[in-house]
Amino acid sequence: MTSSKESNPYLKTNKLYPVRGRIYDRKNQALVLNQNSYQLYVEPKKVDNKDYLLESISKSLEVDEASISAKLDMSKYWVAIAGGLTQEQKDKLDKLNLKGIGFDYQTKRFYPEASLSAHIIGFLGKDDQGEDVGHLGLEGFYDQDLRGLPGFVETERDILGRPILIGVQQRVEPDDGRDLILTIDKTVQEISKKRLLEGMEKYQAKKGCVITADPKTMEILALVCLPDYDLEKYYLFNENFYSDLAISDLYEPGSVFKPLIVAAALEEKKIKPNDTYNETGQVSVGEYNIKTWNDKYEGKISMTRILEKSSNVGMVYIGEKLGNNNIFNYLEKYGFGQNTNIDLEGEASGYLKPANSWYPIDYATVTFGQGIAVTPIQMIRAFASIINGGYLIKPHIVKKIVSEGKVTEIKPKIERRVVSQMTSDIIRKMLVSTVENAEAKWDRPKGFAIGGKTGTAQVPIKGVYDASKTIASFIGFAPANNPKFLTFVVLYEPKTSIWGSETAAPLFFKIANDLIVYYNISPSQ
Amino acid sequence: MKNLFLRTTGLIMAGLVVANLFVFISGIVLSDEINNFEQKTENLHKINLTLEKEAAKLSSINFAQAQAKEFGFTNSTAPQYIDQLKYAYR
Repeated sequence: MTSSKESNPYLKTNKLYPVRGRIYDRKNQALVLNQNSYQLYVEPKKVDNKDYLLESISKSLEVDEASISAKLDMSKYWVAIAGGLTQEQKDKLDKLNLKGIGFDYQTKRFYPEASLSAHIIGFLGKDDQGEDVGHLGLEGFYDQDLRGLPGFVETERDILGRPILIGVQQRVEPDDGRDLILTIDKTVQEISKKRLLEGMEKYQAKKGCVITADPKTMEILALVCLPDYDLEKYYLFNENFYSDLAISDLYEPGSVFKPLIVAAALEEKKIKPNDTYNETGQVSVGEYNIKTWNDKYEGKISMTRILEKSSNVGMVYIGEKLGNNNIFNYLEKYGFGQNTNIDLEGEASGYLKPANSWYPIDYATVTFGQGIAVTPIQMIRAFASIINGGYLIKPHIVKKIVSEGKVTEIKPKIERRVVSQMTSDIIRKMLVSTVENAEAKWDRPKGFAIGGKTGTAQVPIKGVYDASKTIASFIGFAPANNPKFLTFVVLYEPKTSIWGSETAAPLFFKIANDLIVYYNISPSQ
Repeated sequence: MKNLFLRTTGLIMAGLVVANLFVFISGIVLSDEINNFEQKTENLHKINLTLEKEAAKLSSINFAQAQAKEFGFTNSTAPQYIDQLKYAYR
């Protein structure tokens, strides 16, 4: 409490801090709460034995004596020693009856699920004024909603601190921060994180992401990228760990991109699933030669087979049928080069170079997902549009914002229609066939129709593709006739195999297996 | 007449002093009560946060995992097969 007016020593004003909003998952299970915390301070002028004080604090808080000593400037009247003390630590120090110490009450964030959703949540730091400020993720994006408005109390008090009833007594209550109810399901999040960790260890990947969404609403059910960081001790981590790859990392998607081009060609009626293409060998585009991943060719194959065997030359054919203008228009329709405006801080927009800078080889390679930079969240949004009936929907993490007595529901926002219901139905069937007749055989849940596509993208390093470094991915959905979930798995530079079919795909099926059990989805085949 | 005036004034003054004392003491009692309630509210707020934290801890996946580990639910037991079924036929 501080004296606000020199003329009236009895008048005290005190800022009333609002309680920062809490964060819950879609089933109202807490992800972020507030907990009691204390700041230890010392009034050096009241200290009679500095050495004993230092030793006592050091033992109680298990902090190096030298670091406390460095803060304790005996020429000052008030020195903050340590923040974020727990009730137990405070009680321990209270019992010692040390002269000259005191505690200021604070609250700090508590994470019941530890760092399960580190990148989604973000963290709470301090600004120049020492006030709490949210950084990254939801803490950053919804900082204004979460922080609330402070109140104040102005009161005249006697020497014992009792209110003087006939004096000034004014109190403006703080407006507590709003609570956020997320679209995230913590069980799906846990499944995704556990499986991603296992997958990264098994395939020796450098980094990895798993995003699971409801394709009909683009409610994000889980979003995990590893490595992540400890929310409680975020300051111990290098800033590289803070970036959420799912929304900020630009990469070339590779073959997971192919269904988008096929859907565009179906929509424009340039191809039909059973049309044939004569796959005879490599295709030349200008001075470049394009080949299939294994340089093997099957002769006459259907459009569905092009997806099944992930034929690059077949995709170049589809791209030619679709036409350059259509390719570029559809890239824009799918939202590439634009922010998805997901409600998380730190999103990158990707880059789609202007149409007049495209060379023929660019139009050829983009059909199989090379030569274009996208973020995983852009990729899953675009993919959702071709399997949900054709709607490009803004992805979102927050389902409801709850303030005192008022609930604001955030509804799915349709950006535009990209393809028709008929195209969407056809592409879903083609993608089921792609999983069932793919060249790799996976241990997938039996009796369930699952659609999906693998991707293996080469990583450009200093303008040259390094064949040993790839980004392996798989995007899939189930059940195929009415998708309940759409999951995108990305593994960066796996070492056991460079192929998405041998790394990301098995990891996807492990996750899909768990989700089918969790959602109690019945077999359809 | 003068005496009556003085007595009346004295009585009024005494009454005012008593009333003042009563108001003063009541004021102190009321202030103490306000102080107590303020402290109780603050404590309740702290207890509320502590209980909220405990409840969230107990319903967390972290806690469930720790419990499952403690009770051995997470260790998959090796399946036991009956090799010598002849005993079952007897």
